[in-house]
Amino acid sequence: MAELRTSADLWDELLDKDGAPRRAAAELVQQLQSLGLAELQQRQDLAELDIVGMGITFTVYSDGRGIDRAWPFDVIPRVIAADEWRGIERGLVQRLRAINMFIDDVYHEQRVIHDGVFPAELLEHSVNFRRECVGANPKFGVWAHISGSDLVRDGDGTMYVLEDNLRVPSGVSYVLENRAISKRAFADLFSKQSILPVDAYTDELNRMLSSLAPEGIAEPTIAVLTPGIYNSAYFEHSFLAQRIGAALVEGIDLVVGDDECVYMRTIDGLERVHVIYRRVDDLFIDPEVFRADSTLGVPGLMRAWRAGNVAIANAPGAGVADDKVVYAWMPDLIRYYLQEEPLLPNVPTYRCVYDDERAYVVEHIAELVVKPANESGGYGLLIGNRATRSELDDAIASIEADPRNWVAQPILALSTVPTLCDGALEPRHVDLRPFILSGATSYVSAGGLTRVALRRGSLVVNSSQGGGSKDTWIVEA
Amino acid sequence: MLLSRVADNLYWGARYLERAEDTARVVRNFTELILDLPRGVGSSWEPLLAVAGSRAEYDEGHARAHESDIVRFLVADLSNGGSVVSSVAAARENLRTTREVFPRDAWQAVNDLYLFTSRDTESGVDRRSRARYLGRVITDCQRLDGVLGGMMRRDQAYELWRLGQMVERADMTTRVLGVRAASLLSTPAGADDYDEVQWMGVLRSVTAMQMYQRSHRGPIDGSSVVSFLLFDETFPRSVAGCVQGMRSALARLPRPDATMASVDSLEALLATLPAQATDGAALDTAMDRVQAALVDLNDRVYDTFVRGVV
Repeated sequence: MAELRTSADLWDELLDKDGAPRRAAAELVQQLQSLGLAELQQRQDLAELDIVGMGITFTVYSDGRGIDRAWPFDVIPRVIAADEWRGIERGLVQRLRAINMFIDDVYHEQRVIHDGVFPAELLEHSVNFRRECVGANPKFGVWAHISGSDLVRDGDGTMYVLEDNLRVPSGVSYVLENRAISKRAFADLFSKQSILPVDAYTDELNRMLSSLAPEGIAEPTIAVLTPGIYNSAYFEHSFLAQRIGAALVEGIDLVVGDDECVYMRTIDGLERVHVIYRRVDDLFIDPEVFRADSTLGVPGLMRAWRAGNVAIANAPGAGVADDKVVYAWMPDLIRYYLQEEPLLPNVPTYRCVYDDERAYVVEHIAELVVKPANESGGYGLLIGNRATRSELDDAIASIEADPRNWVAQPILALSTVPTLCDGALEPRHVDLRPFILSGATSYVSAGGLTRVALRRGSLVVNSSQGGGSKDTWIVEA
Repeated sequence: MLLSRVADNLYWGARYLERAEDTARVVRNFTELILDLPRGVGSSWEPLLAVAGSRAEYDEGHARAHESDIVRFLVADLSNGGSVVSSVAAARENLRTTREVFPRDAWQAVNDLYLFTSRDTESGVDRRSRARYLGRVITDCQRLDGVLGGMMRRDQAYELWRLGQMVERADMTTRVLGVRAASLLSTPAGADDYDEVQWMGVLRSVTAMQMYQRSHRGPIDGSSVVSFLLFDETFPRSVAGCVQGMRSALARLPRPDATMASVDSLEALLATLPAQATDGAALDTAMDRVQAALVDLNDRVYDTFVRGVV
């Protein structure tokens, strides 16, 4: 019998405070207990063999070269009840509608500023605001077509949105791969209960991207633009291109013609591209407009986009809302654009740009998580109660030097899921990244990527920093 | 639709993998041959280096030509770009960038092969495990052929892959002929009691033994072995069979004219060879010329499909 443990003051996704299985996890918990640790470990080992054999990898870039690592996966899934999930889905769709209206607004009339809801100086100082995008009109008024919002659950069971990733969020390929692996590990459970399938995502992605094509193009040619094989998410770029039948292109494969249309270099000559799913950061997509030294982009791409001859997803400039400062305004933005109350709560966020909030942060820094406003991947993050005094002092100095670039939040007690660690089942902290597609309509992946901090007590779930992953089951119960 | 960059990777991926497979065949069968020969009779391992076309590279780093050094160089040495492990690793790198055009199982076959070959390279050198190691390389390459043959549309990606495979295969068969067959022909008849065993070795190094026997009556004789490996269009590893493969692949690719002209001249070269080869030196020279023609063909492929200047 495998023993399942929880920590007294934490919320566990599978077990309640008394150690009894939660409603949607009943079947799973029963099976985990009856299988025993040796059998679970064997299933874990088989899963790892599958991952190596299927070549599911992510790339770590170090010493000037990319190293392919096997994707870290824990065989014990995270379970969410379908009725709770439907509420989360509605909250995410609401959030993305507001985000897209905000982005469209800041590149046009800026009503949100004139109406006094969002401070003008924040936009002026935003490193992700692209002047070159002012007045552009992407189809449906949608800028952030593919987004991944990170969700965390606090000790009392409340699910919070921790951040919105609107630039080039990655991880969805692993959602699909994790499912393929976990179906092998727990085949019997999949036949015993209703677990929502995740496979439809790529088809929905294909449909959404196709819908962005310039007017009059019935069967658009889609290309996935990757920075190349050394990018940490190259596996995903290739996976998605494969699944939607798109060409996987690098900047050097594309050229903008005199007609301001985008073409790719094929063995038949130049072929027109109508939709680009770009996985290259804004600043690198067009050396004519942004960084002139970029070799990852395509000269003239912005001209073609502004002329309406090619759709780019996510639209250049969409990152203006992917910013921990804008995040702090999200509840206000939802109320302002939609006249609705937010369905999913934000984590309370202190904005260091304001004197009173900054003073609070400096005084209470040991109880807060301090984050740079524009970094992803967990870089630059400081967890107050784990830091030394000198680390705290360094953080305070950085905040005082550039207040706009910092926000702080209370330290959440991230929920846990039992995880196989050194032959035992231990509670480990998790978050969840669902993927939201926005075009003419919206779609939310069934569940998302559950990331798990494999080290005891650690809250850092990023795979680039030693985090692992789990399959996420949305169970009808 | 096939990107030029991807076309380049596919073509070379095919060449690398075919090279790995062919080198595995040659080394495996040379090992078996040498075990059959008594001490002193043709027991040098140096012809292997000549067949692999890496004599010069080998001599740079090695003072002696012992079996284990030569086999390690050809099978397990990552610093030798033409070794089995290097070729497999290079093929995998190339396929990593072409995963969206190939069936997923194809990538898995190559990935499996890569994991296998790089895990314990020394077992490809050790005489006791060598045959099994090399056999696995050959089987995995065949597995990939099966995946592509049975699961892939005959699209441009498939045809470019086939083209690369045929060019590399023709290259190996001509080197086996130019080195091994040519030297056997040059040996006066009857001077070597092990003539037949040696000719069997030539056939086996391109896995042609059984097919040769089925197409030929009577005992093995050198000149018919040469004709079989040069001219029998129905045998997929003969030079003529490879040329046919190149033609059928090119016919389904855009703007094939320049490359096809190069294949024509290669075929014209073959036509000048006598139906019954007796002159070893002439065969060696002719094979050198065929290989020069293959280099030219390679350049045409690059100009046409990668640079797009043809």
